[in-house]
Amino acid sequence: MAERRFSFFTRGQCIVLALLAATPLLDLAFPSIQLSGPMRTVVVYAILALGLNVVVGWTGLLNLGIAAFMAIGAYAFGILTAEVYPFQVGFWWALLLSGAIGAFAGWLLGAPTLRLRGDYLAIVTLGFGEIVQDGLKNLQAITKGTEGINPLPKPTVPFGAAIQSGLEIVGIASAPAATKAAEGVVAASSNWFEISSATPARWFYLYLILLAVVIFFCRNLEFSRLGRQWFAVREDELAARCMAIEPDKAKLKAFAAGAALAAIAGALFASHLASTGEPANYDFQVSILALCIVIVGGIGSITGVVLGAIVMVGLSNVVLPALTQAMQRAGIGSTENVLSSPDNYKYLIFGLALVLMMRFRPDGIVHTRKAVKK
Amino acid sequence: MRFGGLTAVKDVSVEVKSGSITAVIGPNGAGKTTLFNAITGVYEPTEGRVLVAGRDPQRAWTPRVMFGVGATALSTAIFLAVLVRVETLWQSAIIDNYVFQKPFPWMKAIADFFSTFFGGGFFGTWLPLLVGALLGGAGRFVIWSRTRRTPDVIASAGVARTFQNIRLFPELSLVENVVVGMDRRLSTGFLGALFALPSALRERGKARQDALGLLKFVGLADRAETAAANLPYGHQRRLEIARALASKPAVILLDEPAAGMNPTETVDLMRLIRAIREAGTTVVLIEHHMRVVMGISDRIHVLQYGEKIAEGTPEEIRNDPRCIEAYLGKEELG
Repeated sequence: MAERRFSFFTRGQCIVLALLAATPLLDLAFPSIQLSGPMRTVVVYAILALGLNVVVGWTGLLNLGIAAFMAIGAYAFGILTAEVYPFQVGFWWALLLSGAIGAFAGWLLGAPTLRLRGDYLAIVTLGFGEIVQDGLKNLQAITKGTEGINPLPKPTVPFGAAIQSGLEIVGIASAPAATKAAEGVVAASSNWFEISSATPARWFYLYLILLAVVIFFCRNLEFSRLGRQWFAVREDELAARCMAIEPDKAKLKAFAAGAALAAIAGALFASHLASTGEPANYDFQVSILALCIVIVGGIGSITGVVLGAIVMVGLSNVVLPALTQAMQRAGIGSTENVLSSPDNYKYLIFGLALVLMMRFRPDGIVHTRKAVKK
Repeated sequence: MRFGGLTAVKDVSVEVKSGSITAVIGPNGAGKTTLFNAITGVYEPTEGRVLVAGRDPQRAWTPRVMFGVGATALSTAIFLAVLVRVETLWQSAIIDNYVFQKPFPWMKAIADFFSTFFGGGFFGTWLPLLVGALLGGAGRFVIWSRTRRTPDVIASAGVARTFQNIRLFPELSLVENVVVGMDRRLSTGFLGALFALPSALRERGKARQDALGLLKFVGLADRAETAAANLPYGHQRRLEIARALASKPAVILLDEPAAGMNPTETVDLMRLIRAIREAGTTVVLIEHHMRVVMGISDRIHVLQYGEKIAEGTPEEIRNDPRCIEAYLGKEELG
């Protein structure tokens, strides 16, 4: 490995991004599936798992409550944008602010607890996850309890209207008919930058661009001074201390960064659902799914984590429902018969995948750790 | 240095001249490593002090620390007082003022918030504020008092060390190991790292170059990109020395640098230690190889059962009957 020059993405990261970018093309080939809607969840979970990866993969702290930060992000987004509250700051400001609120929450949880070691910290984060969920359920006046906050606005493209009118002046986007022919993938709309339920591919691509930005930031952190401090703390805390690194500060930064990413994932999730959903959407299962994504993908590797999200969430949210639908259409299975619906085999397949991974490839699909002879 | 009722190191005073090589020797269990641990802050000495260039490297009770304690107390107090009545506050400031699709009266909402916040009576406002202030202030104070003399504080003061049982960062490459050691001289902050600002990239490049220079100095430049765990034992010790040197310390403490080395490696090591001294770093080492100790030390301190039994030049130590007895045992007469 020669000296690392500055580049936006590594080859592996380009490949996973290209892989994701290609999924709406499948909609073209098989119009009956409509992948780009459910694929947004994959992107959301990829961002969540990247946040968890900062904490678990790079700094070596077991965090079992990442879903709590996702919930905080989702509810912050909901409160900041919904019409039932006076703030209504719009998608982009709300996204940024919920990231900041998530980072603050992470800092708040981390400051008194990060001096705990290993399992004790895991228990604290586990408890925090439950507390947040119960809190959201019971603070009726603020969070609407189990109803969830809705409706939430769809994302908009910043300067989209201005660019659109610019294009129209140049004459590229004037005729709606031409737009229709050019797009094909998505339902016809004369505005290229409008995002709605009728234009799932655009919505998906917007999320994908956000994922690319997140990957870019993660990558910068990984090779920075801060990233090195995290690795040093993970490998040997005492040795890191003796090298004048303050592990508590490094851990706190990792915790806040991870929480911020999780909160952004939560905000995107809420926008995707057009509702925060009920607090039970952010339960322990979600934390464990995020942890599985990190472990299956390759702990510590950005490419691996995104790939893990594609495999795990793609399987549970895209492939299995599609398979169930197809089987129903063909008259093989039915929703009444639990055993004949592939959707219900989700956790069986997850468990099997984890066992097989641990047996045959314990470092995950992609491993970054420098080949250490064991 | 005491552990419970056990006194591990007692009344040992070691003075090290700047720019010299000092050795600490003694039989196993004499307390040499404990002495190093007490110096570098791994253990908090029960009695006694460590002075570096005449100053005690500790986090002092500065105005900044005081401000930190105060700020933590205040913010915890406000946080707790808001938290216990969050729904009431929300109701009075937001819900009661918001009429759908009408402009929101921000000033009135803020005024309502404060009037509700301070209108909670003793149990609603003042008790939570008091408890929060006590909790936050006390917590921050305890953290300060417990981290006054942690290894990072000592390392920042310019005392670097290596470990008897090597503690590298096994999955990082050799260069990265050394760059971690350089950390106290780097200044990239969070934003610089996040956006990969040109200053951060420049600093990173420079740090790498320096690290490669140090690896060359200890003779490991050709394996710069392998993982540290893959190095043979003797090389790992040299890498640890390079990592400790990376922080440009005033003093470097080497804990048994020659352990597990073969005779050729030992000779190389002696040359390396001399070169470190030539470069202006003071060296203190623990060592069992008498050839190394006698060959390079300016002064030797001998410990036994946690007490210093002798101190002097190599020549004096070699002829000191107590040292011979400590190491070789007493001749049995009769």
